[in-house]
Amino acid sequence: MSAIDVSTLPGEIGMVEPPRRRWLPFSPWHLVLMPIALVMLVPLLWVVMTSFETLAQTQHFPPILWPGSFQWQNYPNALHSVPFGRWFWNTTVVTTVVVLSNLVLCALAAYGFARIKFFGKGVAYFFLLATLMVPIQVVLIPTFLIVKQMHLLNTLGALIVPNLANVFGIFMLTQFFRTLPIELEEAARIDGASRLKILFVIVLPLSLPALATLAVIQFLWTWNDFLWPLVTIYKENAFTLQLGLMSFQGSHANDTNLLMAGNVMSMLPVLLLFIAAQRYFVRGIATQGLKG
Amino acid sequence: MATVEEATPSGPSLAQRIWHSDNLAGWLFVLPAVFLVALFSIFPIIWGFILSLQKASLLSPIRPFVGIDNYTKIASDPHAITAARNAVVYTFLFVPSSIAIAMFLAIALNQKIRLIRFYRLAVFIPVAVSTIATGVMFLWVFDATFGIANWALGQVGLGPFGWFNSPQGALPSLVIMTVWGWLGFDTIIYLAALQGVPHELVEAAAVDGATRWSTFRNVTLPLLGPATLLLVVWSTISAVQLFDEVYFVTKGGPLEHTSVPVFYIFKLAFTSSFGFSAAGYAAALAYVLFLVILGLTLAQFWLGKRVVHYSS
Amino acid sequence: MRRRALAAALLGVALIAAACTSSDSSGSSSGSGSGEPVTITLWHGYGKVESPNGQINHEALSLQNQIDAFNASQTGIRVEDVFCCSNDNALEKLTVALQGDLQPDVTYQYGTSMAQIATAPGVMDLAPLTQDAAYDWTDFFEGVRAAGTIDGKVLGVPAQVGNLAVIYNKDLFAAANVPEPTADWTWDDFVAAAKAIEDPSTPTFGMAFPADGSEDTVWHFDAMLWEAGGDILTEDNTHAAFNSPAGVEALTTLQTMAISDQSMFIDEANSKIDALFNAGNVGMVISGPWAVSGYKDINYGVQVMPAYASGSHQTISGQDFWVAFDNGSERAAATQTFLEWLTAPEQIQQDSMETGHLPTRSSIVTDQFVTDFNTKFPGEGLFAENLNNVQKARPALTSYDQVSQIMGQAIVSVLLGQAEPQQALDDAAAEVDQVLAGG
Repeated sequence: MSAIDVSTLPGEIGMVEPPRRRWLPFSPWHLVLMPIALVMLVPLLWVVMTSFETLAQTQHFPPILWPGSFQWQNYPNALHSVPFGRWFWNTTVVTTVVVLSNLVLCALAAYGFARIKFFGKGVAYFFLLATLMVPIQVVLIPTFLIVKQMHLLNTLGALIVPNLANVFGIFMLTQFFRTLPIELEEAARIDGASRLKILFVIVLPLSLPALATLAVIQFLWTWNDFLWPLVTIYKENAFTLQLGLMSFQGSHANDTNLLMAGNVMSMLPVLLLFIAAQRYFVRGIATQGLKG
Repeated sequence: MATVEEATPSGPSLAQRIWHSDNLAGWLFVLPAVFLVALFSIFPIIWGFILSLQKASLLSPIRPFVGIDNYTKIASDPHAITAARNAVVYTFLFVPSSIAIAMFLAIALNQKIRLIRFYRLAVFIPVAVSTIATGVMFLWVFDATFGIANWALGQVGLGPFGWFNSPQGALPSLVIMTVWGWLGFDTIIYLAALQGVPHELVEAAAVDGATRWSTFRNVTLPLLGPATLLLVVWSTISAVQLFDEVYFVTKGGPLEHTSVPVFYIFKLAFTSSFGFSAAGYAAALAYVLFLVILGLTLAQFWLGKRVVHYSS
Repeated sequence: MRRRALAAALLGVALIAAACTSSDSSGSSSGSGSGEPVTITLWHGYGKVESPNGQINHEALSLQNQIDAFNASQTGIRVEDVFCCSNDNALEKLTVALQGDLQPDVTYQYGTSMAQIATAPGVMDLAPLTQDAAYDWTDFFEGVRAAGTIDGKVLGVPAQVGNLAVIYNKDLFAAANVPEPTADWTWDDFVAAAKAIEDPSTPTFGMAFPADGSEDTVWHFDAMLWEAGGDILTEDNTHAAFNSPAGVEALTTLQTMAISDQSMFIDEANSKIDALFNAGNVGMVISGPWAVSGYKDINYGVQVMPAYASGSHQTISGQDFWVAFDNGSERAAATQTFLEWLTAPEQIQQDSMETGHLPTRSSIVTDQFVTDFNTKFPGEGLFAENLNNVQKARPALTSYDQVSQIMGQAIVSVLLGQAEPQQALDDAAAEVDQVLAGG
């Protein structure tokens, strides 16, 4: 009855068509995606090219996009001129802890909001959302005071503790959990499974795309955060990467090429994580079991 | 496993009822996160509110109490009105276009074709590039004399635009730059959501002879409802709170045409461009802004309740 | 699965604990008592000493050397220097630090931040220093001193000073057959040169101007205003005075280049001028000694700013300061001793020759010095001499930033063709009057 064996096309969600004669040797989607991809890559190209230039070449406008000879040594220079390794480590520790913590705490909270009816739920949910609506510039100083009271200033703790549970993560996972078919969970509950078990054994495996997305986003935010580390970290050894990249900017001179090299190196972990997270962007397996 | 209820013929005790109740379970699940968020937000919210009732400078401890003066000043402050107007225009341009393009891109990125991983990475990259780098790049691209935007437009006969230099063109240029910069973010959320669209439904629709467009409209789109609500709410909040790009690129110019609320608040509180005791006023503006966002979000959720379907 | 989750949780807690126990803050003074030095901290924005571009960051090196020398020369005080942040962020960082009582003893701040810093608790009045005859306070240039003195209190010791002059591209001048500027040139010469160099086909601009409405925009205008014989505010600082015929003349000069001749590159973002000049697209810029190091690819010359009919070649000075905070009597005393040493003539001259910074003391600017300075830093000799052309200073008012903001918008509106000079200046003057009246 079905003209196509859709099970061999796991990716074609949303646009499924009966096979028709192709007028091009490749999918027409390439005509859309390739130009878009190229256009999206332009800023990265500019950053990378600048990172290979000499300082004099960077002081040009319009920017020189092809340096002629590549200054590969900008990279080791950037690495060695400052405690780059130390900053990298600091940023990695902070980001890893924050991402893991968010995955756990946001999943727990999201499950509560998505699946459990409890007294005060609406108020709690809106309270959380409300905290998103006050811009950080306004709460910068009082938050700083709290962190100071906790004796966390100048430590990585100052960067970690306020970010252990990000409301955006809760919001996002709540929405995602609500889209899952509830029958599976109800069945497990009748069988007497505890809610915690349901969360870990049923819900989370089905939510891998969402979890992977949250991990990437939280990683990105924490990795690139500049303002908060700026006001809480005073010791150079405790700097994060973003903060440390400032070192390439003297009072009147900018080592723009080194700055860009530092930026490229700083971007790599995020991009690598994104690539790794790709393999979780697959259809949830449980939907195969659904009928009607 | 026998439940407690079965073992005790007289029914569960109060303690047992509480233990097994949804209320306790619900709170246990949300408590860690709620506690942490509350810890770091209750004091700042109160602190900020008190500040908004004072004529204050962030540097000086002398803060005379002025009641609601800061709030009543807002309606007659031309800078605030300009910032508000810019925020409205910006949000109305930014939110729909970024969501629509992201949805389209997500579908495109969900195709099983060669190079799809490369395409996905490419779309995400602008999000990973720092705001500063993106800003500097766009300043060049949109330069009226040297930028490639005008050069490209010139090739097809369109006149040179002022982009960031022109009072009228600066805000749309900002929209373009930020949509570009954040497109990847919305797209991967939609992409994750698309993984949850069961292909049996799509297959069934195809079998029934539906066109691709009606399949999309009747099957996929409703199933993307929850993600859309998430993105609409989040994008609106972000759009109204726009700051970084303005701070690094346009500084509110030219002539305040890209001055947005949070940037104005920042200048009031952290610089002396508007005098020294403007921090209290800045806090008041922030609270009004908060109320506006709250109202918008409530409206969006209300609308969402009527329009968005969750599977069950 | 549960065990793994538990392990992850423990790991997380351990990491947090490890992070939290790393040793803490700056700002704690070591004990006094006999023999133990008082430690004071100094925040600067000079970055790292060794810039691996094959260049030494001379500013950082000079400061480092001087602090090392001071520490070695005595045992009572130990100065710890900390690269806190880029100077652009110094005020913000200080603001937050003050909230938590984490401020340093000395911090490098822009002159334009001084009025705001005046309102901070604990900022030290360095008047005792200035009353010390040996220190010779009047040796510092007058305009510089004035900028650091707010409401009669000396809140900063000059750390750096600069002024505005014209830097021009010799090759572009030659190509356009325009004679290079001489020391007595006029604004008419300037405008004509810009027009001659202007060439839309390359494109080449006659001159470039920062048009973001910030203080950078305003202080350029201020210099021209003074040359035209005008003033920013009235003598008693109660009313605006820049909407005088002098002000209109100055603004009209800019308008001519921006609108009629279109010889001006209007830099809205105030970030492109240096790179454009270095690429050879701009004939003249009005800038300071700091810009010169970015023009390596250009055969440049430096000349004083042109004059109006009155013939006065004035310029405006910009200065940065070392600001001190009172963190207890011991540290305060140590700080004063250190600052007195750091800004003594010997150290300043040493710093100037090392970094190319203009000397902040007039006694240093001898002919010999200028010659040596010019040899080591081509073109900067003129900037050093130009310090003598600083006759007026911007008002040292706490409300100056508001005034600047208003003026900046007025200037930009004219440059963008949205207003006429007289109208724009009059509107701005009305606003400024309100601000000065305490509105």
